[in-house]
Amino acid sequence: MTGIVSYGTYIPRSRLKLADIARAWKKNEKEIVSSLGIVEKSVPGVDEDAVTIALEAALQSMSTFYGKPSDIEALFIGSESHPYAVNPTSTIVGELLGIGNSYLAADLEFACKAATAGMQAIAGLIESKHMHFGLTIGADTAQSKPHDALEYTSAAAGAAYLMGDSRCLANLLAYTSYSSDTPDFWRRDGIQYPSHAGRFTGEPAYFAHVMGAARLLMEKTKITPDKITHCVFHMPNTKFPRDVARRLGFTPSQLAPSLTVDYIGNPYSASTLLGFAATLDIAKPGDKIFMVSYGSGAGSDAFLWEVTENVVSHQEIRKKNKQTVQDQMQNKTTINYVEYLKQTHKI
Amino acid sequence: MLGKIGVVTSWTIIRLPPADFGYQAPYPVVIVSLDNGESMVAQMVDYDEKNLHIGQRVVTVVRRTVQVKTDDVVPYGIKVKPI
Amino acid sequence: MNIYIIGAATTKFGELWGVSPRTLATTAVSNALKDAEITTKEIEALFVGNMLSGMLGGQEHLGAFFAEELGISVPAFKIEGACASGGLALHNAVNSVLSGQYKTVVVLGVEKMTDHKPEDVATALMGAGSEGERLSGATFPGLYAIIARAHMEKYKTTERDLASVAVKNHYHASLNPNAQFHSPITIEQVLKSSCVADPLKLLDCSPISDGAAAVIITSNPSTVNKKHVEIIASVAATDTLGLAQRASLTELHATKDAGVRAFKKAGMKPSDVDIAEVHDCFTIAEILAMEDLGFYKKGEAATAIARGETMLGTSKHFVVNPSGGLKGCGHPVGATGVKQVVELFDQLLGRAQKRQVSHATIGLAHNVGGSGATATVHILKNI
Repeated sequence: MTGIVSYGTYIPRSRLKLADIARAWKKNEKEIVSSLGIVEKSVPGVDEDAVTIALEAALQSMSTFYGKPSDIEALFIGSESHPYAVNPTSTIVGELLGIGNSYLAADLEFACKAATAGMQAIAGLIESKHMHFGLTIGADTAQSKPHDALEYTSAAAGAAYLMGDSRCLANLLAYTSYSSDTPDFWRRDGIQYPSHAGRFTGEPAYFAHVMGAARLLMEKTKITPDKITHCVFHMPNTKFPRDVARRLGFTPSQLAPSLTVDYIGNPYSASTLLGFAATLDIAKPGDKIFMVSYGSGAGSDAFLWEVTENVVSHQEIRKKNKQTVQDQMQNKTTINYVEYLKQTHKI
Repeated sequence: MLGKIGVVTSWTIIRLPPADFGYQAPYPVVIVSLDNGESMVAQMVDYDEKNLHIGQRVVTVVRRTVQVKTDDVVPYGIKVKPI
Repeated sequence: MNIYIIGAATTKFGELWGVSPRTLATTAVSNALKDAEITTKEIEALFVGNMLSGMLGGQEHLGAFFAEELGISVPAFKIEGACASGGLALHNAVNSVLSGQYKTVVVLGVEKMTDHKPEDVATALMGAGSEGERLSGATFPGLYAIIARAHMEKYKTTERDLASVAVKNHYHASLNPNAQFHSPITIEQVLKSSCVADPLKLLDCSPISDGAAAVIITSNPSTVNKKHVEIIASVAATDTLGLAQRASLTELHATKDAGVRAFKKAGMKPSDVDIAEVHDCFTIAEILAMEDLGFYKKGEAATAIARGETMLGTSKHFVVNPSGGLKGCGHPVGATGVKQVVELFDQLLGRAQKRQVSHATIGLAHNVGGSGATATVHILKNI
């Protein structure tokens, strides 16, 4: 069976309170914080980027891997903040990980679902017996224009998943994908900040595609929400994942363990994968996890996972090292709006 | 050099940085005696003031180093963070 | 064979905006020649100590450059060892005369640093450190601050102790017409000055300066007349380039090594020395020098300096950095090692005027490169 062999996550330490952003632009802080449901977002250090964050998450996944880095035969990295327009993040990370030279490396872009597309591609490569181990990483230092609505939620984090064909902690039972040409959020080449189409990012974009991929997966597997233990959806804000879960027939408690957005905001390509890791950190053997990502432009990748007993030893190590998603969300230091501008290179 | 653990044997905070480190100043620079017997000099990141003392345990990480022109290759290097 | 200094001179040290390196060199050398009462005809080789001409001025090949400027087409060499360039140039000149290859040579230390942005000079000076130090964003004040912190931790040296070095050397500088700084300062002023690299503050650090110094040395006794000073030891030593690779953060082995060998060669001990010009690029560096050269036991120099034991007027016999040192007189990098010898020369001949140390017979010059990777020690005796 193809599935996840190990996983790793990384959240930079700095947090910016949304109230501070609101104050900088003379908006009503109380109203903004309560309507968005988020208190603070994660901000990368001035010397961090998608490469360093991807590497931290990957190193963590290596620490519970029963093999070694040179066993990895594919490395896909999905991000909206690759440091280069041309020059792969994946080979820099691959080199620093010590993978060697015999591997397939590729950088992926599809807004927030770049990394989950990589997971489906690697699943195919493993299932076709072309390789045994492939690593996918979603990492972002999301950029947003000062004073834009996105400034309140665009955050930074990384999540790495090593997939393989043996001793999996979660098996991949089925996967689907749903795509269309829907420009709800975009960034032109050479332009620093993304643009978005306001309310158009809701119903015709996020909901249409998440529900589209979810329905395809339910049809394919004949599974219903009551047979599923946990669900994870892409989290651009606190409302959308809660709404789509309800509309698809899931209960709040099925969704709850995944809601990292409430603590750190939306780290774009790492969002769904971080919520998935938070869920794996508490999942029990036998649990089924229904995961749907979303990338603007637009598309969704849906996965049905089944957790195995192998998850227990990974959870124990992560807990012992204080490296669970909960631990990383709590390992924080507050910065102010000026420090945020410096750390994100706006000044 | 990744994930190596060591202890701080001395430290300072650079307040007047060289030209290509201006964007990160002020920052601590420390001497670290690694558990494997080697010694190195590095910037300390992700720290609180209470971590700036001789004897602080640290681990090596990869971060961006000098500031380069926008069309140059991005330089990465080893720094340390407190544990 | 004995080596004598027969003439020496320095330019003013400071922010000499209108003075070029060519003028600095010709001023120093022509005054040294006048002092020696010889002409360029007797000069058989030129040794130039300099560090930054390439990085800041785009000019390497300084031997040829200054030979042409001085109108002497003789064998000419640029010697570089960071801030020890001057001391190394003199050491190499001494060796060339000892070898019998030349009889009379001129040593020129020269540096032009003030024409550039401070952060560019800071970057260029880090060429004296290791690549690891450059990539860590360290600066020279930072490296010596790391040494200071370790020294303070181990020996309870205080920031006030460090400040007393600056106070002493600024006082000495106020008596030196060629010094960069003219006014005495107080401990409080040093402690209040802004932090450059914790715990070192602005007034713990030697300045960026322009200047040149020249000495003429010879083995030929017949050219030696009523004023002569003999170089009785000239020694160089090397330690690791980077601080992290040193055996200790609180002592400079290169200094210790050079000091021991120099005293052996001269047949002397530290208590024989009347005046010392030591390498106080930062206040902590003078404290280390006092200990590493053997003038004080480890951990005891700081309080002695703070008590005034090495200061003009309060010292019982041993004065350190009567020129003002690097701190007070200024530190044009390549010139310093030569200027230290010029100061000793003037002192030993009784011509140091307001800063004259009485009964000065034996002088020691100590020059360090980088954070201690290179050290030179010269011991001088008047006849």
